[in-house]
Amino acid sequence: MTSSSVTTRAVATQRQWLAPLIWFILLLSLAAGMSQLEWLFRLLEPELRQVIYRRGDFLALLGRHVLVVAIASLLAVILGVGAAVAVTREAGRDFLPLVAQLASIGQTFPPVAVLALAVPALGFGTLPIIVALLLYGLLPIVRNTLAGIGSIDPDVHEAARGMGMTPRQILRQVELPLAAPFILAGIRTSVTINIATAALGATVGASNLGDPIISGIVNGNTAYIVQGALLIGLLSLTVDSIFERLQRRP
Amino acid sequence: MGVNRQSPNWVLLSLMLVSVVAWLFLDALNVAPNRIVPGTPYTSLEVMGGWPALLLGLPLLGVAVLAWQPSRKGLQCSLAVVVAVLMLLPLWLAAATVGFVDADAPQARVGIGSALWLLLFLLLLAVIELRTRLGVSRAKGWLLFMPMLASWWLALTLWLEPLALVREYRVRSDQFASAVYTHLMLVGAAVGVSLLLAAVLVLVMRRQPAVRRIGFAALNFLQTIPSLALFGLLLAPLAWLGSRIDWLGNMGVSGIGWAPAFLALLGYSLLPMVRNIFVALEEVDAGVIESARGMGMSRRQVFVQVRLPLALPVVLEGVRITTIQAIGLTAVAALIGAGGLGTFIFQGLGQAAMDMVLLGALPIIALALVADALIGALSERLRLGGAQ
Amino acid sequence: MIELFDVTKRFGDETAVNAISLRVAKGELCALVGTSGCGKSTTLRMINRLIEHDGGEIHLDGEPVRSFDEVTLRRRIGYVIQSTGLFPHWTVSRNIGLVPRLLKWPKERVRDRVEELMQLLGLPVAEFADKYPRQLSGGQAQRVGVARALAADPDILLMDEPFGALDPITRATLQDEMRALQARLHKTIVFVTHDMDEALALADRLVVMHQGRIVQQGSPIDLLHEPANPFVESLLGGLDRGLKEAALIQVGERMLPFGPRLLASERIPYGASLSQALSVMLWHRVDRLTVVDEEDIPIGELSLRRLLGAKAP
Repeated sequence: MTSSSVTTRAVATQRQWLAPLIWFILLLSLAAGMSQLEWLFRLLEPELRQVIYRRGDFLALLGRHVLVVAIASLLAVILGVGAAVAVTREAGRDFLPLVAQLASIGQTFPPVAVLALAVPALGFGTLPIIVALLLYGLLPIVRNTLAGIGSIDPDVHEAARGMGMTPRQILRQVELPLAAPFILAGIRTSVTINIATAALGATVGASNLGDPIISGIVNGNTAYIVQGALLIGLLSLTVDSIFERLQRRP
Repeated sequence: MGVNRQSPNWVLLSLMLVSVVAWLFLDALNVAPNRIVPGTPYTSLEVMGGWPALLLGLPLLGVAVLAWQPSRKGLQCSLAVVVAVLMLLPLWLAAATVGFVDADAPQARVGIGSALWLLLFLLLLAVIELRTRLGVSRAKGWLLFMPMLASWWLALTLWLEPLALVREYRVRSDQFASAVYTHLMLVGAAVGVSLLLAAVLVLVMRRQPAVRRIGFAALNFLQTIPSLALFGLLLAPLAWLGSRIDWLGNMGVSGIGWAPAFLALLGYSLLPMVRNIFVALEEVDAGVIESARGMGMSRRQVFVQVRLPLALPVVLEGVRITTIQAIGLTAVAALIGAGGLGTFIFQGLGQAAMDMVLLGALPIIALALVADALIGALSERLRLGGAQ
Repeated sequence: MIELFDVTKRFGDETAVNAISLRVAKGELCALVGTSGCGKSTTLRMINRLIEHDGGEIHLDGEPVRSFDEVTLRRRIGYVIQSTGLFPHWTVSRNIGLVPRLLKWPKERVRDRVEELMQLLGLPVAEFADKYPRQLSGGQAQRVGVARALAADPDILLMDEPFGALDPITRATLQDEMRALQARLHKTIVFVTHDMDEALALADRLVVMHQGRIVQQGSPIDLLHEPANPFVESLLGGLDRGLKEAALIQVGERMLPFGPRLLASERIPYGASLSQALSVMLWHRVDRLTVVDEEDIPIGELSLRRLLGAKAP
């Protein structure tokens, strides 16, 4: 390979990450410098005394939002992929029909309802949100992992066995890599829903980017609402563009 | 080698064992003298001397035994037992409630505990599992839930007055009816309008590749924005429009209420609708279209008589996804004053009144499931008649 | 050497393979033929234990296959299937190097072996090493499949309709190469096919299966001459049997080396088959052909009488 083609490829990789980077910088600078924009929000609510949400630092709210989503999503990926892999093994195959049906029926449950049901079961605070996000986030991941493993040509599986690969080698070298695009799409769906649902967590006592919105609705302060909404929107776009890039790789 | 010796059905076996343990040892009921005081929990064995609870639990152990050596007869038997237990459960609850709450304690309320919820959930899973194993058709599968629903309805209307959920409902039955109505109207309007808009959009997209690219990019972008944020972002401009333009204001357009809710719902509904209609029309078997042309059908005839009927099941799938999504999003819209069942959820959360939260959340889930089943059945019918 | 003793396989109530016994000698190519569903694929897959047999015993060089760990067993046996089963996410060279890597060969040795095999199978390394399976034609993909099976130099090769999905021309080319390859490598091969011409062309031993049983086995010529029953006869081509036999015999075997005679007008290479010679005679309406060697130099003559197997006049 010539050095110029290496450089071209490096530049291309850099350019691929440009969109996520721009969204991320926008997100961070807005979270850090919201108070600099007071004059702008003043136009929105000229009569109110306070137009910048002060009950929590925006960066801290953002951090907590990301943390909750990250914990829930990480657990959902581990459990979801694990469950789907387990029920496609010889030993767990009995559970496959039930798990597949549960994953598809579960997705008809609206996420708000799941969040609402988590509160009577677990109380207020961050824990019920993480559990609700985890439970709901599992479904698309399980479903997509099953679809991904199911989409593998049976002859490829047969050849892998015939060549003398152990079940573990088949899983790690053949099944998971071939199912990866499906799994990634499932994780994307899951994380997108989780970011949105976590924002609703502000109504059950979690403090995150949903807070300014809820507080703005309660106090009739449009400026608060717009601040929260902008940050959540930017957060979603950042995360979504990262997945977009990841999925585009061969 | 044994003759037809079956390996155990581990799914059913584990479901039954967990059910029985949960049912007998977790809290089944929660009795409180009024709405404010936290109640006292009871396990099912502490209710009515315990024997009715055992009577419900023992047949489940029988199912577990049958699952050890499953045969078709055994599975049918198991299904009958599970459906019967599901049917008897509300009656048990009714009997327990009557026993616990005196007629002269109009404030007393009975809450449903984790044991009961869990049992309900696990038994429903068992029904699904048995339905799959026995290859029961979709329509007959729904009939299986009928006895259970009938007995719940009976119990709820006749004996379950002290149930917290029922008490909560009685206080605001008018509000409940109007919330359901608003919810359905918003969902119906969003789905209906988005179907029409999407159809028009797709017809343009099929002609103009540029519109197709931009359209999908824009809709994808919109779908990424979380609902709460989109409702919030629509609030400011609509409030401004409502206050500046009189006729819009008179129509009820403002930052709060149905207008931002409807617009946001419409935006979210467009993507799945457009995507499915587009894919449906694109993916009709090229050979079929080719042969229709070859037979001398005009472009219009091909579209109306071949492409459209073949595409319909996929379009309906889009309607199904959109409807379910809209039912959930409308719940969120309650936050910006759009009404609907979400109102109970958020009011309940605000007042820490969990039964009120349930009063909102359970019907929303029920609506989503019913919509899913109805549209699913419809599309299956069309598929049978129309295409594979 | 592969031996099957009374091997039986049942799927539920159905007996797919019914007490078959078979011996494939070292270096022999044994073709299992029969209609679809006759149990030939099942038999093949029981040898590397992709399917476990219910009754009887299968021995590899005198040891029962059950005595090996199934993974170790399969790594010792090459396996080629109709749809290739190449891993779509791996390059050609990585696919070929699979079994050596499973056997933990050092990196350089794997690379050298992969390149050796690609050359052996006519796949230029520079062109194909980094391609992915979806970029290959059917014939190329199947060459990669064969190379992958040969990678760890197994003594035994199992081939399940390896050329079944290819067009007739590619198929014929690969059959020729297969014959050449086998002449060099002397593997013990079990080859499943439903194409009788392919079986006749490649096999040292032909095993005809029907409804889970072996109906007849023997050398191709034996079977052509003495089919055990009408089923084998029809499978072997019925009225076409004569041509099928003629296709198995080379012109060189029947020709008369040159005496001082006039050259016949039409020529035929000595490596061609008698059926091709007959076709040339029919086409040109002649009863004598000049037999030539690779350099087109006349070396003998084939008359219709000699073709028919009569003693020279």
